[in-house]
Amino acid sequence: MSYELVAGLETHVELSTKAKIFCQCTTEFGGDPNTHCCPICMGMPGTLPKLNKKVVEYAVKAGLATNCKIRNVSKMDRKNYTYPDLPKAYQISQFDKPICYDGYIKLSSGKNIRINRIHIEEDAGKLIHEGGDTYIDYNRGGVPLIEIVTEPDFRSIDEVIEYLEKLRLIMKYIGVSDVKMQEGSLRCDVNISARKKGDEKFGTRTEIKNMNSLNFIAKAMEYEFNRHVDILESGGVIDQETRRYDSALNITESMRDKEDEDDYRYFRDPDLVNIIISEEEINKLKVELPQLPDKKLDIFMNEYGLPKDDADLLIKYKKIAEYFEEASKGIKNKKLVSNYILSQVYRRMPTDSDKEECSVSLPPKYLGELISLLENKKINSSMASQALEKMLDTGKPVSEFISKKDMEGIDEGLLREICLRAVDENKEAVESYLGGKEKAFGAIIGYIMKETRGKADPQKAAEIVKEIIKTS
Amino acid sequence: MITKEEVLRIAKIAKLYVKDDEADRLIEDMSTIIDYADAINAIVEDRDVEFDDINNIANAYNEDVVLPSYDRDEILKNREGGENGYFLVRKSLRG
Repeated sequence: MSYELVAGLETHVELSTKAKIFCQCTTEFGGDPNTHCCPICMGMPGTLPKLNKKVVEYAVKAGLATNCKIRNVSKMDRKNYTYPDLPKAYQISQFDKPICYDGYIKLSSGKNIRINRIHIEEDAGKLIHEGGDTYIDYNRGGVPLIEIVTEPDFRSIDEVIEYLEKLRLIMKYIGVSDVKMQEGSLRCDVNISARKKGDEKFGTRTEIKNMNSLNFIAKAMEYEFNRHVDILESGGVIDQETRRYDSALNITESMRDKEDEDDYRYFRDPDLVNIIISEEEINKLKVELPQLPDKKLDIFMNEYGLPKDDADLLIKYKKIAEYFEEASKGIKNKKLVSNYILSQVYRRMPTDSDKEECSVSLPPKYLGELISLLENKKINSSMASQALEKMLDTGKPVSEFISKKDMEGIDEGLLREICLRAVDENKEAVESYLGGKEKAFGAIIGYIMKETRGKADPQKAAEIVKEIIKTS
Repeated sequence: MITKEEVLRIAKIAKLYVKDDEADRLIEDMSTIIDYADAINAIVEDRDVEFDDINNIANAYNEDVVLPSYDRDEILKNREGGENGYFLVRKSLRG
């Protein structure tokens, strides 16, 4: 019997505001334990939380970028549960009036993953379990989050990974989060079930909590899906429960006592007033949104004629995409620009964070000037490559490395003279070439390039050499 | 009328142990409370209860500006145990 996977995601994205959600402590990652705290984020009696305006703006932007509707009037609620990571014994979140609802993200297959809601909430503190005791650092407590909840629309692990990659890219593009997964600023709960192919009804689901790596999410889902199928195949029943993924053992395990029942007793937080957002304000935020990755991809492929693989690589980092756009201004053959960026320029940014920042000292305009010379055949590709290396080393324009005279190239008469000499002085290579060794031809061209200090057009030179060999 | 099962379930969630004869008395007490709440609900029916806000204030916001946090010693003042600036929750007997 073959089974189909059904999954839905709840994704927590930490917003990159400077201050926390209800007080003005810093949201900076790390820091000595409990040094980014005050009576408000510590939940001391008598303190009064006040919502950070930027949190509302960022949440609305996230909603707009994921095709959500925005609620004009919303409010904050208390979600009650007792666990040491929450000093108040409740988390301030949104229950029945989330700020954004009814959105979607389109996958490359054209399928929409529907977003049920996006709501605002506060992050909890960090617990460190050691030898049976638990140590608590509340620095993260009160850092603003949005939770993005999808419908159970996923039918494969690949779809989940693509959705998460897209979501991450969108959040980065619109600048509401730096989505550093290793710092936990994007965390995921996966609801998963299995059903027989062709069945309408969903199977009983389990929830795998709090994963912050795409790799772990994929592995945990694979394990959990197989576990469901094994149980169903042997006639068993799935318990609806919350599970945790153990990356060391690559298994999921039950997290809570089945005796415990979740009852969050949500109610409106009386300390926080209504959030009213006018259509005018929503429109203002809409205007502020940058061009989104999907739109860029479309332009790069369909207007600039880049192959999909190149366009995908360029949009993966917003600043590299912008570097490309800037460098290719006025260039007809955009693929030429993309080629140089994805090879020589890319190599100068070995790490992910280098690429994130597009940390090359060469202004994109200078790269554009170089490509323009190449496009107009003022220089050849090997001159361009060599010059680009020097330009990347120094951040200086092409005029520092290639003189006007060099750009004129060499005239055909002179080139022919050098070619004749090349054939004359590389008799062995000529013979090998005539004997069928294609490689030997390279040695002759190499000689010519050396003689002309790279100025010759290698293609033209090859033509002339072949002609000389043929007629001699 | 609230049922006995409901009373026992609420007790369980609240982690309270309720004896059988106590449950009967609780059914009566809780039903009175719920009836009273229902009576109030009936009165306010035509108001916008969803967004009830007695203060009639909206959009009270902080600007996104960082202010200095508290001195850690102040934050940790009432803790018991713990080291290196952490709070401590001791291992409990349960589980």
